[in-house]
Amino acid sequence: MTDTKLDTTITGVPGTSRVTRANLGARLGPVIGMPVGIVLLLVIGTLLSDRFFSVGNLVNVLINISILGVIVVGMTFVFITRGVADLSVPATVAVGAILTLGLQPAIGTFAAALVGILAACGAGVVSGILIGYARINPVITTLGVSTIVLGIAQWSVGGVIVYGSDADAQAFVNSRVFGIPVIVIIFVIVAVIGHLVLSRTTLGRWVYAAGSNPDATRASAVPLARTRASAFVMTAGLSGLAGALLGITLQTARPAIGVGYEFDAITAVVVGGISLLGGSGSIPRAIGGLLFVALLNNILVLHGVPTAVQGIAKGLLIVGAVSLDIYLRRKGGRS
Amino acid sequence: MTVALEMRGISKSFPGIRALADVDLVARAGEVHAIVGENGAGKSTLMKILAGVYQPDAGSIVLGGSETRIAGPIDARKRGIGMVYQELNLVPDLTVAENIMLGATPARFGFVRRRALSDAASAVLDAFNARIDPSALLGSLTVSQQQIVEIAKAYAQHPSIIVLDEPTSSLSEHEAQALFHIVRRMRADGIAIIYISHRLREVLDLADQVTVLRDGQQIDTRASDGLTAGEMIRLMVGRDLTDIFPKRVVPIGDVVLEVDGLMRAGAFSDVTLNVRAGEIVGLAGLVGAGRTEVARAVFGLDRAQAGAVRVDGAELVARTPAQGVAAGIAYVPEDRKRDGIVPSASIKDNVSLPVLRSLSTAGWISRSRERDLVREQVETLGVSPPVIERAVDTLSGGNQQKVVIAKWLAARPRVLILDEPTRGVDVGAKADIHAIIGELAAAGTAILLISSELPEVLAVSDRIYVLSEGRVTAELDRTEADEAAVMLAATGEAAHA
Amino acid sequence: MSAVSPLRGGWSLALLGLVRYRVIVILIATLVIAATFVPGFFEARTLSLGIDRVATMGLIAIGLTVVLIAGQLDLSGGAILALSGIAAVGLQESMGQVPAAIAGLGIGLLAGCCNGVLVVLLRINSLVATLASMLLFRAVCHLITDSRPISGIDPFFGIPLTQPVLGTLSTRVFIFVVLILLLHVWLTRMVSGRNLFAVGSNATSAAASGIRSRWYLFGAFAFSGLMAGLAGVTFGIASNTGSPVFGDTIVLTAIAAVVIGGTRLEGGVGSALGTLGGLLTLAALTTAMEYQSIPAYVQDIVTGAILLLLILLDRLTHAKRGTDVSPTALLRRLSPKRDAARQHETERTPA
Repeated sequence: MTDTKLDTTITGVPGTSRVTRANLGARLGPVIGMPVGIVLLLVIGTLLSDRFFSVGNLVNVLINISILGVIVVGMTFVFITRGVADLSVPATVAVGAILTLGLQPAIGTFAAALVGILAACGAGVVSGILIGYARINPVITTLGVSTIVLGIAQWSVGGVIVYGSDADAQAFVNSRVFGIPVIVIIFVIVAVIGHLVLSRTTLGRWVYAAGSNPDATRASAVPLARTRASAFVMTAGLSGLAGALLGITLQTARPAIGVGYEFDAITAVVVGGISLLGGSGSIPRAIGGLLFVALLNNILVLHGVPTAVQGIAKGLLIVGAVSLDIYLRRKGGRS
Repeated sequence: MTVALEMRGISKSFPGIRALADVDLVARAGEVHAIVGENGAGKSTLMKILAGVYQPDAGSIVLGGSETRIAGPIDARKRGIGMVYQELNLVPDLTVAENIMLGATPARFGFVRRRALSDAASAVLDAFNARIDPSALLGSLTVSQQQIVEIAKAYAQHPSIIVLDEPTSSLSEHEAQALFHIVRRMRADGIAIIYISHRLREVLDLADQVTVLRDGQQIDTRASDGLTAGEMIRLMVGRDLTDIFPKRVVPIGDVVLEVDGLMRAGAFSDVTLNVRAGEIVGLAGLVGAGRTEVARAVFGLDRAQAGAVRVDGAELVARTPAQGVAAGIAYVPEDRKRDGIVPSASIKDNVSLPVLRSLSTAGWISRSRERDLVREQVETLGVSPPVIERAVDTLSGGNQQKVVIAKWLAARPRVLILDEPTRGVDVGAKADIHAIIGELAAAGTAILLISSELPEVLAVSDRIYVLSEGRVTAELDRTEADEAAVMLAATGEAAHA
Repeated sequence: MSAVSPLRGGWSLALLGLVRYRVIVILIATLVIAATFVPGFFEARTLSLGIDRVATMGLIAIGLTVVLIAGQLDLSGGAILALSGIAAVGLQESMGQVPAAIAGLGIGLLAGCCNGVLVVLLRINSLVATLASMLLFRAVCHLITDSRPISGIDPFFGIPLTQPVLGTLSTRVFIFVVLILLLHVWLTRMVSGRNLFAVGSNATSAAASGIRSRWYLFGAFAFSGLMAGLAGVTFGIASNTGSPVFGDTIVLTAIAAVVIGGTRLEGGVGSALGTLGGLLTLAALTTAMEYQSIPAYVQDIVTGAILLLLILLDRLTHAKRGTDVSPTALLRRLSPKRDAARQHETERTPA
């Protein structure tokens, strides 16, 4: 560091702009932490169980996270743009699933799924307008929208379970291409597109800027409200897609089909080290978090640990990850 | 009169800046002691030391005869020091009475003694002759009324010393009169009052003693009798010009930016000015005069309620930053941390932010074009280190400022508004920034420069507008502008002289 | 800024008043609708049944009112309810019924303190903190019950809770009403209650005045946990059952009730009586809709829509939030004769 010039801003308080050894560690920590953690889990899993490190088991893990992973991609956008979290995921998943199965006989599976995704996007537009333009608290907005949308979804099917009628579609989604499950391929495509949007497009850049410093972003002539809103529209659309996939694989759809996905998605993103304060994070990191949670779960399941303990592990994981983030931020000199 | 407070030999340094050097201050009971000085002279630092926000590097504080260490704001309050800051520190959702007694609410068994609460608040307000309903919600009051409540809150603690930091900066002449009454009333009660103000006339009216600070040094302390505004200004600005500001002579073209009768309630009114191509126009004035507010409204960050902004004769209709950028206006903001940088993003991402749309096709950013553009700007401005992937919050203040300027140069503006571009920036970076401003003007950019550093404005500008209390009080040509003339207009003295 | 702008005439004032006192308007409207559709709605029996259904949620809403006024959020109420209920029912055999109930309350308090630690000490955003703790508490519920509902030792022990004591009010309604009145007294009359508003409205200013803001936040979460615990204990004893899935949707409805009652999400504004009004509104709404056999999900739609609409209204009038719309101020403004009194009541400058 040759650059040791001073930063005395309005307050006259010396700035903390220099990189020191201590905060270099704090800055690098989050970047290398996740891959190391995943490798560690793989090693531990292999040592603990001979069934763990097999292609069959690991592919199963991938299949299990694929549908959730589609939602995680959207939730990452919400986090980075400092939108806190989208709690309307269960509703939009249900909309996707119910409409896909409900409209299947009339217009075919593909068209029905498309309608389901668009309807979910509609819910996202409502949340997005309320959060981005009217600047209402995202938690309450998405909870409220969730209640309404879920109510409408139930209403539309009379509050009962919808059954699917297209076994071909189910077979296709459950099939494999070159040994890779179709559902995993879909997830990977969504993740790659999400990653490219976030890292290579105008919108992605705006998402980061909006989350890091909304005032400066607005002062840089960026459409702040639209950027915020788009994160929620995207999450809703992707949840709709996840719902459609879920409906097609299960061939049944209850209104409560998506319950729990919102928390699981948040867990993955938070464990991926993405801060609620926005402005940083990436799709690979969120997926790293997702993989970490999934592998941990897998190890616990293989060991016959009750599901409830897995819930506790998840809760502790969130607290641990967020505390670590807050600690690192304070140490890294960012507030 | 008894000495209530004595600060002896107070020194305070922040890395790179000597904020206060060996300053003495004696405040006596029943006396108003005014502290005057230019922006950044050290007045606020001195008061923050008194409030316990900072600890002095050297010197001692003697309160009521015994030497004291003030541990923090709450400790200061307990020791009888009442602080009234410029920015209001009240709770909008509680009533006036509750605010006045906050933290010291009269109670019995944990229950509010509502009668006692209301009586105590009324007593203070009556003493101030203020017609404010103690049961009204604080948020429903005007700013001047809130200011009075803020003082009442300090007064209700029966302090021996009250510090008023720029209490009139947001008040009208009439409202200020009510405040003076209160100050005199507190003086009559035997409170030692430390009064900080830019308005020299009210200092002369109110103060018994005046201390002048300049660049952290105590220039003089004397009785206000016989002191004139002109003399105070001389004491405040009479410094050696240590910085050399080279001025390039460039041809000046047609009017590019025209601001006509711009008004924003509570901030500024009837602001009319123009800037020509190649011209550097200074916007001078004291803190709180409305300079930044005018700049933000011209750019479109804040809404103006009346008036017009024209660029090359075309009026800007929808007033948003995006419109401003489209019309060729760029604004380097005053508060770099808040409005300037996106801290966690790289230099590249910061610089390209306003022009991303032009760098991308259908939303897809062309990385090579972006890189070229950013490299060019980073080189032109000499950002160090010139590593465009570096996160901006790892840079020094001067380099952060260069990044913000680079960001707006990348937008190739016709009009560049620079709001305190060299504040908190070291000497080297400052010279760089001045050189850039000169080059931009030579290239035909119309530049509006806001700076609290008078020598800078004087040296760099072709013309200077002076704002005072939200109005343009003077337009000075380069040849007729000097520190005294600007200060006279900025303190509102020009009108009275 | 001393002139009253023409916009701030009767209409905008009426709108502000409407937003502030919405709970009365909404409650009356709901009652009228309910009375139209439900024959005998105003009979004591129907009314008390209606209130009885919201008593459990009401206890959670009491805790939430405090947390929201402090400017925070608590999503874990439902999980704490389940946990305390399981404790109060499951421990009966080993401890006896009353000690088990007290243990249930203690667990609620402890869970609330956990939230307090997460938010105040670890500085985790209250939404994420209570989300995590909610997952945790639920998981613990499933763990200790093996995901099966459990029963108490004596089905008759809880009967008195649901039996009428005063006229037609059941014991648990009675507990709830007493608590909400106490809350009202605390929030309006006690120093600590007023300080809570200061902390929620402007924490830095409160701290600068010597109020221990962080302890108030901690206390708010502890109190909220205790109330959720009380809800769990009464609900568990009354139904003689503890289940890990109890209360899974109760928090949103409770938040809706609190917000309908005029408590502001950003903190600093709120009232206990408003929350009571919000609860009564939801109770009347539910009773009326059920009488018309409107399915539960339509009720959800209506609740959600009311909630969003109110928050939007709140937001749109936010710029004028400082305007004094207390009854006295309204009276003063709306009476044409006393123009003089208007003089010093003008809008805050948007600084």
